[in-house]
Amino acid sequence: MSSEAVVLPAGSRAGLEEVRELFAQRSSEIWPALRAATRTAVDFTEVLSLANLKKKAVRAGISGGADKTIRLAVIGGSSLYPLHELVQQMIGAGSSVGWWETELWKGDYDNYIAEILDPESELYTFKPEIIFLIPSNQRCFYSGSMTDAAELQRSEASKTAEELLSLCQVAHERSGAEIIVSNFLPAAEFDPGPFRVKTLGSNWSFRKLVNLELGLKAPSYAHICDAEFLATRRGAASSHDPRAWFETKQLYSSDFAVEIAREVGSIVTSLHRSSKKVLALDLDNTLWGGVIGDDGMSGIEIGGTHPRGEAFKQFQLAILSLAKRGVVLAVCSKNDYKNAAEPFEKHPEMILRLKDIACFRANWEPKSENLRHIAQELNLGLDSIVFVDDNPAEIEIVNQFVPEIETIWLGPDPAEYASQLLNSRFFEPRAITADDLKRGAQYQQQAARAQAMSSGTDMEAYLSSLEMHSIISEFTAVDVPRISQLINKSNQFNVTTRRRTEAEVEGLLTSPNHYAFSVRLADKFGDNGLISVVIVRVEGQTAIVDTWLMSCRVLKRQMEEEVVNEIVRLARQRGCISVIGHYIPTEKNGMVRDLFPRMGFSLVGETDDLATYQLTTEDFEPRKTHIQIDRRAYESN
Amino acid sequence: MNQTEILAKMQTVFDDVFLDDVKVTPELSADDVEEWDSLLQISLVLGVEKAFNVRFRVGEVEATKNLGEFADLIQRRMNEGAKV
Repeated sequence: MSSEAVVLPAGSRAGLEEVRELFAQRSSEIWPALRAATRTAVDFTEVLSLANLKKKAVRAGISGGADKTIRLAVIGGSSLYPLHELVQQMIGAGSSVGWWETELWKGDYDNYIAEILDPESELYTFKPEIIFLIPSNQRCFYSGSMTDAAELQRSEASKTAEELLSLCQVAHERSGAEIIVSNFLPAAEFDPGPFRVKTLGSNWSFRKLVNLELGLKAPSYAHICDAEFLATRRGAASSHDPRAWFETKQLYSSDFAVEIAREVGSIVTSLHRSSKKVLALDLDNTLWGGVIGDDGMSGIEIGGTHPRGEAFKQFQLAILSLAKRGVVLAVCSKNDYKNAAEPFEKHPEMILRLKDIACFRANWEPKSENLRHIAQELNLGLDSIVFVDDNPAEIEIVNQFVPEIETIWLGPDPAEYASQLLNSRFFEPRAITADDLKRGAQYQQQAARAQAMSSGTDMEAYLSSLEMHSIISEFTAVDVPRISQLINKSNQFNVTTRRRTEAEVEGLLTSPNHYAFSVRLADKFGDNGLISVVIVRVEGQTAIVDTWLMSCRVLKRQMEEEVVNEIVRLARQRGCISVIGHYIPTEKNGMVRDLFPRMGFSLVGETDDLATYQLTTEDFEPRKTHIQIDRRAYESN
Repeated sequence: MNQTEILAKMQTVFDDVFLDDVKVTPELSADDVEEWDSLLQISLVLGVEKAFNVRFRVGEVEATKNLGEFADLIQRRMNEGAKV
């Protein structure tokens, strides 16, 4: 499914290989790797291989495993092997620190009614915390004729559901266990044709009705493992495998059994951990297309008749649907607050408004820090936050520094954003309460009361882990269009906001009084492309920085430091003893107000509309960074 | 693929399914391995189907007496797939 392909790491087989490797090393890192690989595994043999490796890891005594043991009984009308292996594996991966072991009791094939009804049965001496019951699918059909009166058919469906629920009740009352009960698979055969929906007596209609009755009447201790939904989503015809039924009484096709097991794992997890409460959102290219600081209110893509704008609007609608049932919204964005808030206040196509956002953090701090602030302001644990961003580097920094926070990387196509959020499974309520509906407003007040300040994180380690490489090049004819585009579009990280035509930029290629270079930056997530432009005018022994701009995507990656290193290096080559930098303030470039002093320049003159800074080349020590410079300007390879 | 090659590839499936090291030989059968019960057999057959991209018909794996015969069955099903 395309929407999931973005959520799940590509090729989960890679996860299995990693687990094999870690097992070979007897490394305790095997546990997080096992959890991650298990959560994303889609095929049966893959999960069984992971289950086998998990058993081998326990046998080899690799530390870091079991942090909880759950007593699980599995009973049902079909063979429970190897389904139970899959279920145990999925439950295990529900741990956030180690592994949830299961102590298992397995009922006999199609013996569940006796096991539940006999008070002396082993089911009860086992003392399960959770009972997973898979009723017999083959018993769920209407006993009369398809042409019987609808009332007759309806009452038999109710009776079927009630009988199953009364079994759940007995099991619950005798054991105290939570009951997970699977509902019935949809009938996937064409017979009796379209007539199936004109009667409640067809297998198709009858089972649907039974499933509905089951869900609507289930008490709070009974949790439905919605096999009907899962099979429908996957394709009912591929959810059952007749050969597996005849040979070994498997109710589900092997790969579908993985989905059932994952659902059981998810229910078990939800019984032991509360669901997520806060959705923290990036802004640029997440809630709207484009960069508000550069493109402005009229330039961002949201709503309207443009397909991309429509997609972002749909994403906002999906977010609002979660907010309406109690999910708290927060903003976590690298932006000036004024720019960031404007669309929420004034853009006619925006769905989300300031009143919907409980905590709004738009500044230039690392997002990991801002998320800590959000947790503090809302007075919630970090583990109640889910963070959403289109930028994989931001997702990575959050994963590294606040691993308690779950993240959703949206990827490059806004068409997928809404379905990614709605398939993320982070915000599933077990029951919606009136309190849930008011929660958003409560947290907003909480946020208004609390204001917290930042703590340090290990930025150096993060930067080093990015494996950044940069190419610095003098202007070339090929780059002129991109350079011109940046010169005429960049507003935020732009010290002078001096615009130039393509022809003027071309002139710089041969100008004897200038040196000018562009910077490309790549990291382990990919190539960011040409992200910075510098133009320096040489007057005698002075180098004057005419233009220095950079894409905000790579802010605080030490690219600023490397640019200064290069400016000074080239200044020295041209015999300059000092470098002059100008800051011309505009509505939008507040973020570079302190750029020159941060880079070691001294203030030598200041008026309302111009600050002048100076640096002596002789005193300059090149700054150390985590960026590997593969090529420098005016140096041939 | 000849029988030897098929058995070599089966070894990787066995390594994934069994906890103990089990060496694949043409003569080997479930009776020789303590861990190899009717339940483990299910995982084994599914693993083999996945690895060789074949599908057996109802009952036919059960009819093979040892891994040599099982490998021959795999070969027949693979040839059949190739013709389609």
